[in-house]
Amino acid sequence: MSVHSPETNPAAESANGFMTRLGVFALQWRRRWRLSEMRLLFVALLVSVVAVSSVGFFTDRVDRAMSKQASRILGGDLVLSSSRPLAQDYRDQAREAGVTQAESIALTSMAAKGDELQISRVKAVSGQYPLQGELEVASALDAPGQPVAGLPASGEVWAEARLFTTLNVQPGDSIQLGRQSFTLSRVLTKDPARGTNLFQMAPQVIMNLADLAATGLLSPASRAGFDLMFTGSDGAINDLRAALKPRLKPTEQIRSLDDGVPTVQQALQRAGRFLGLAALLSVVLAGAAIALTAASLVRHEMRAVAVLKAFGLPRRTILWDYLLNLWVVALLAALLGLLLGFVLQFLLAGWLARFVDISLPAPGSWPLVTGLLTALIMVTGFALPYLLRLVDTSPMRILQGAMQGQNQVFWLVSAGIVPAVFGLLWLQAGDSLLALWLFGGIVLALLVFWLVATLFLRGVARLSLRPGWEWLALVRHSRRSALLVVVFATGLFTLLLLTVLRTDLIGRWQATLPDNAPNYFLINIQPQEVDEVRAFLTQRAIEADLYPMIRGRLTQINGQPVSSADYEDPGSKRLLQREFNLSSFADFPATNVLLAGEWFDGQSTAGFSIERGVGEELGFGLGDSLTFDIAGLPYQETITSIREVSWDSMAPNFFVVAAPGAFADKPQTFITSLYIDPAQTRTVPALIRQFPGVTAIDTGAIVAQIRSLIDQATFAVQGIFVFTLITGVIVLLAALQSQKAERRREIAVLKSLGAVHSTLKKRIWLEFVLLGGLAGLLAALFTLLASNLLGYYLFELEVALNLWIVLAGVIGGAALVSGAAWFNLRGLLEITPVALLKG
Amino acid sequence: MNKTVIETRALRKHIPASGEKNTDRRDLLILQDINLTVQAGESVAITGTSGSGKSTLLGLLAGLDTPSGGELRLLGRDIAQQDEDQRAEIRLGKVGFVFQSFHLLDNLTALENVMLPLELASGQRAIRTLAEAALTQVGLAERMQHLVNRLSGGEQQRVALARAFVTRPQVLFADEPTGNLDKTTGKEVADRLFSLQKEQATTLVLVTHDETLAARCDNWYRLDAGVLTAEKIAEVA
Repeated sequence: MSVHSPETNPAAESANGFMTRLGVFALQWRRRWRLSEMRLLFVALLVSVVAVSSVGFFTDRVDRAMSKQASRILGGDLVLSSSRPLAQDYRDQAREAGVTQAESIALTSMAAKGDELQISRVKAVSGQYPLQGELEVASALDAPGQPVAGLPASGEVWAEARLFTTLNVQPGDSIQLGRQSFTLSRVLTKDPARGTNLFQMAPQVIMNLADLAATGLLSPASRAGFDLMFTGSDGAINDLRAALKPRLKPTEQIRSLDDGVPTVQQALQRAGRFLGLAALLSVVLAGAAIALTAASLVRHEMRAVAVLKAFGLPRRTILWDYLLNLWVVALLAALLGLLLGFVLQFLLAGWLARFVDISLPAPGSWPLVTGLLTALIMVTGFALPYLLRLVDTSPMRILQGAMQGQNQVFWLVSAGIVPAVFGLLWLQAGDSLLALWLFGGIVLALLVFWLVATLFLRGVARLSLRPGWEWLALVRHSRRSALLVVVFATGLFTLLLLTVLRTDLIGRWQATLPDNAPNYFLINIQPQEVDEVRAFLTQRAIEADLYPMIRGRLTQINGQPVSSADYEDPGSKRLLQREFNLSSFADFPATNVLLAGEWFDGQSTAGFSIERGVGEELGFGLGDSLTFDIAGLPYQETITSIREVSWDSMAPNFFVVAAPGAFADKPQTFITSLYIDPAQTRTVPALIRQFPGVTAIDTGAIVAQIRSLIDQATFAVQGIFVFTLITGVIVLLAALQSQKAERRREIAVLKSLGAVHSTLKKRIWLEFVLLGGLAGLLAALFTLLASNLLGYYLFELEVALNLWIVLAGVIGGAALVSGAAWFNLRGLLEITPVALLKG
Repeated sequence: MNKTVIETRALRKHIPASGEKNTDRRDLLILQDINLTVQAGESVAITGTSGSGKSTLLGLLAGLDTPSGGELRLLGRDIAQQDEDQRAEIRLGKVGFVFQSFHLLDNLTALENVMLPLELASGQRAIRTLAEAALTQVGLAERMQHLVNRLSGGEQQRVALARAFVTRPQVLFADEPTGNLDKTTGKEVADRLFSLQKEQATTLVLVTHDETLAARCDNWYRLDAGVLTAEKIAEVA
């Protein structure tokens, strides 16, 4: 800031002004940098930028990796499906849009080798297939799969191992498909676009689309699935979708990545939410640290500003000087923070790559923008109100140190902090409704903390005036103490909340997929085979529950006929177009949660238990009656319970379950999921040989995929937790630092009055044990409330009343706060009271 | 029955040459060979120009700081040889202070500020009653529950007087007690100070620029460049 007389010649100033300003700025910078508040401000900004950017970079990469994986499963970025042949127009349109396309026609057919027959799913594909990922094939049944470029040559097909086993053929043998004979040249081990439908029973055969016509399998009457798959830039795909959508016939349907999240990715989605929430909370915490530090900085700078104003410097110049100073600090913190965040997420990803088989795309540039914006918003929003107050006060008032105007609090809050907090929340959450909820929650928490702390401390202050209670006098500074309690409680609340959610989340993920999570499904077990299959498994010490599976079409709700035409939603339509897999059994599934009603007791023979989602989608619930058409006969029951089903549990799950034995006279097959040690390579072939009709589906790959995602998510969650912890500690220190000058004087006065070292030490410990304990109690109570709300709505966790949190909050709060306070204030005990004599 | 409360022999204070601002590498002598005796109930004024070492001397006499050499006895104890805690214990309940900048604790009420020294000196009974009485005595009965930073300068200094006298100290050290106040308010505060001092027979050591104030004391010393000399007291009406 240049201190000059108002009469300075403007021309001279323009010549020298810049250099003078630069020089004075450098001088001011050096002076201010010596203030511990400025350095604390820098650290708070740095930590928040590191947190925001490393989480930003990391989740951005994981998100894009997930989208890529999801598009592999889908077969492309956009898939147009139909049960009828697709018009040539669509292909032309896609070509015009500049996207890559591939085509597949899938139908069910009989594959024959001599007298042996096997139903198989024949998929005829065109040149570019698959658009995402690679096909993998093996040259022999027991050989590992290798990625392969291209498709089967004309006259050749590739098939899954099950076809080889059931037809008893070897690679190189020929099989008959329709009118044509094909050489079964390779074993198909992986088709990225096979889909996640585990119940697809028939083994898959892949042939070149050019060969399909010759087989004669495709006739106007055949039931076939026609898919056109597209991949390209986001813009081109969006344009194509927009162009195709209005032209779709009723039999045609567009699927894209946004149309539903595969269950596999739920874990990562939750982890992403947790990371976002944690980053958000650490940013808000850092904001609190900045506000406190700014307040303290302003007190430090009062005299300097008063002098400058007395010299005649205008408000605007002073304000700009301080703002410029803060922006330089923010910029430096942002640049260093982005660099650290970038390096950190690389280390995180690199470390992860050693454990998890997922290749992440290169980091994007958006986190750079959010990191920089975060720093600028924080420093401007949280510090500006204090600066405005500082430059707005008359030099006399500043010199007298009278800056207490309480009526300014609301003005202050609304001037900068409210928009800043909201802006940060919005920037992080990327969702204004969520940001609004979080903002409301934060404001409510702060108000409650403030109110409770003030009332409590006033009570204590009143009590301390009574004989015998004087020892409580040390928390008499009710306003100062209330501020500390609010800050401590906010910090502790964040830490407790994240600890609880983290423990719950990780615990739940690990419980979802224990080491022996099922890696095989056995389907198509005939009723007469059930006992033998059980015996086969028991003999090999494999545990498995066999469930009957009955197919039925939903025809009536409460006696009223229903059809897909009654529903708008494509998901609801699909549910009614296909047959439900129904089951009936006595034991409540371990991975389900009973939400309403009662599960079947030993005697029940009536009632249905439904899955929550299907009820919500089709509009029925407890007490409604459902009628299914099972093998041509109606079957009606009333809904007696509603369950939450964990779809990623790798166990058989059913939308509708009837009382045990209810379907005894209906046509049915049995299904089970089981864990087979991968080392026991002979178990599955032996099972298939003994029960040729049973289909074994290997879900090991999916389990491994989920597990790796969970490992990844767990690691990331632990990582971000550390950031929040650091920010929490910084806030504690900032709060203490902001009152240090006052405490320094207070300790000097107490010393002059004869207080000895041990008395002062006792006072500090006792004060902060009390304040920390109170803050911990408030934080714990709010954590109970918030963790249940967030857990329920964001992470699908169950409501739980962990009272240990209260104990942990009080003890942890008292210990952490008093420890931090002692660490921060112990130096003050060495002050000699002679400083008081200097005025 | 006269009892010596403060006694110094060749008391010295210097700042070592290693000090950052002391460029000529020689020790900076602030006080040299101060010999001073103060009897119980006596009031003593020390005047001098700015930088003459008045506040340093007051700090040493009160045991807030340690001398570089010489002897120093406060309330019969040789405090030159004692550590900070031992010196604090001597002050506890027996020594009062009034500062130029009041040094009241903000965000506490007037009453709470006055209760503070009583609470520190354990074994005190009826703390609140004593504090209320002290405030009433300085004319602040109506302002007891006010936060001190809402009081005027004169009122704040009266709270400081109440805080200083509430323990009935044997010695009171006052550092420019009227320095921050206008003439009228300053006189009012000074009147109360001397009246309390007389009433409680407290020994008073007063550092001031104000010669009128100094003239109201029993003895007056002038400090000039670290050297203490006695000043003749003019008759005060």
